[in-house]
Amino acid sequence: MTSRRLLRAVVRVGLRRWSATVLLASVTLMIMAAMVYAQDVGDVHQGKLVYEQYCALCHGEKGDGNGPYGKDTTPTPRDFRQGTFKWRSTPSGSLPTDADLEEVLVKGLFGTSMSSFATSLSHDQRIAVIAYLKTFSPRFASEKPEAPITMSQEPLYTPESAARGEVVYKKMNCAQCHGDEAQGDGESADDLSDDWGNPIVPYDLTEGHIKGGNNGADIYRVFIAGLNGTPMPSFADSISPAEAWDLVHFIQSLSPDYPKYVTEADLRHSLLQKTSTGFTCR
Amino acid sequence: MTIPMKYHRKILSASLISAAFLLAQPVLAEYTVEAVANGGTIEGVVKLSAAAPQIAPIEVTKNQDYCGQSIRNPVYEVGKGGGLQNVEVYLKDITKGKALITDTISLVNEHCMFHPRVQGANVGQLIKISSNDPMLHSTHTQNASTNATIYNVALPFKGFSVTKPLPAIPELIKVKCDAHSWMHAWIWELDNPYFATTGDDGHFTIKDVPPGTYTLVAWHEAAGENPASVTVTVIAGKTVTADIQLTAAKTH
Repeated sequence: MTSRRLLRAVVRVGLRRWSATVLLASVTLMIMAAMVYAQDVGDVHQGKLVYEQYCALCHGEKGDGNGPYGKDTTPTPRDFRQGTFKWRSTPSGSLPTDADLEEVLVKGLFGTSMSSFATSLSHDQRIAVIAYLKTFSPRFASEKPEAPITMSQEPLYTPESAARGEVVYKKMNCAQCHGDEAQGDGESADDLSDDWGNPIVPYDLTEGHIKGGNNGADIYRVFIAGLNGTPMPSFADSISPAEAWDLVHFIQSLSPDYPKYVTEADLRHSLLQKTSTGFTCR
Repeated sequence: MTIPMKYHRKILSASLISAAFLLAQPVLAEYTVEAVANGGTIEGVVKLSAAAPQIAPIEVTKNQDYCGQSIRNPVYEVGKGGGLQNVEVYLKDITKGKALITDTISLVNEHCMFHPRVQGANVGQLIKISSNDPMLHSTHTQNASTNATIYNVALPFKGFSVTKPLPAIPELIKVKCDAHSWMHAWIWELDNPYFATTGDDGHFTIKDVPPGTYTLVAWHEAAGENPASVTVTVIAGKTVTADIQLTAAKTH
C-alpha cells in the first residue's frame, strides 16, 4: 500500500486531520529511529552474549566493574556506567570512539588483568561487544565522541631529542606526580584517587612498558588527551607539538629496553606472544 | 511516487513533530529571553541557624615550601552579622526574562587554593582558568552528581592560562586539583541569568526579575537542605526581601 493510499484509508475511517498528522509523525519517527539503528555497526544482542562469556566475570553483568573476579585485580576493572575511559584518541572528558575501544580489546592493557582479545574474538565480535558495553552508560545515547586529537608526524628519535625532552619534563612539572626520577614517586603521588575514589598511583616511567602502548603516538596521545577518570590531566593547551615529541623521546629513553619497542610491529608481536593464551582474569 | 500538494503541509508538520521529539532533551525548562521593562529585585541575607561548626585548618601535605604548613579552611565563611559567604542563590524554573550572561568567568589557582570557591554561570559562557603558582596544578572538572569528568586541564607552570567552554547542558560542576587534594571549587552552571553568590556579608541581590512567584534556591557546599528553597513573589519595580536560613550541616 502506498503512503497516499494509507493516508486516504486513514481519512476514510473518519480520523481527524491532526490524528493523521500524528500517525504520519509516528511513522516518520520509526523510520528515522530505524536509520539511526542501522548506523550501529555492532549487533547488541550478539554483543551481550560475547560480553557475558568473556567480560562479565571481571566487569560485572551490569557493567559496574563488580564481577566476581574483578574484586582482587589492581587496577579494578573499568566501571562502564559513566562512559569514562582512559585510553582514547579524543580530548579530555570526551567519550571514546569505537575504534579506541577496539584498540584496547586488540592490544589489551599491559601490566593489568585486561588481556588482548586480538585472537580470541573476531572483529565482528569485538564490534558487537563494544555496541553492548555502550548501553551501560546513557552518555553514549545523548553525546557523540569529540573529534580525535591530531598530531604531527613524529620526528626521528635522537639522543638530543630525548635530552630536550628532559627539559620539557621539568618545565611541565611532571615530577609533581611522577617524581624527579620519573619513578612515580612525586610529591603528590601518595594520595591520588580516581573518579570512583579508588587510590591510584602515577606511572613509574622507568619500568619500560607504558600501559597505553610504547609507540611515540601512544605516549603523545596520553599528554594531549589525558586519562579520563584519573588525575592525569590534558596538556593540550600547555605543550607544543615539538615539546610533546621531545617528551615522548625522553620517556622512551627511560625504558631499560629502549629502543626495543620502537615499532608498532615489535609491540604487537610482543603483546600477542604474551597474551596468545587468550582470556585470563587474574 | 509523487505526493499531492495538499499533503505537503501535513508531511512538513509531521516531520517537524518528529524532529521535535528527537531533539527534545530530558525535560529541561526552556528559557526565553525577552525585555524586562519594570522588573523587581530580590535581595536578602543567607545565615546559618546556629553557630558555624568548628572546622580544623587544612593541613597542607604537598609543596609546603610554597603553600605553607596549613591553610584556613574556607568552608564556613561567616561575616559580621552572621551572613554566610559562598552560597549560590538562584531562581528555579523561571522560563523567561533578561538576556543570558555572556562574559568569560574566571577560576584562578593561587596560593594552593581556587578563587573564587563558588560562582554561578550561564550555559554558553567561557571560563578562563589560570595559575599564579610555580608548580603543577590541575583543574579537574566533574559533574557533581555523576562524578563524570568534564575535562581535566594541566596548569603546569606559573602564568599559564587557558579559556575553555562550559558544558552544553546546565549542571553543578565540581572542581578539584588532583595534585593538591584539598583544593575544591564549585560552579553552578544555570540556564537562566537570575543567580547570585553571597558575598562576605552573606548578602545577595538578583535584579530585573519579571513580576511573578518563583522558587528561590540556596545551595551551600556543606550547609542546609540539599538544596534549600523558599517561595518569593516579585512585584513590578519593587524590592522583595528573602532572607534564608540554612542548617549548619547538610541534610539530604
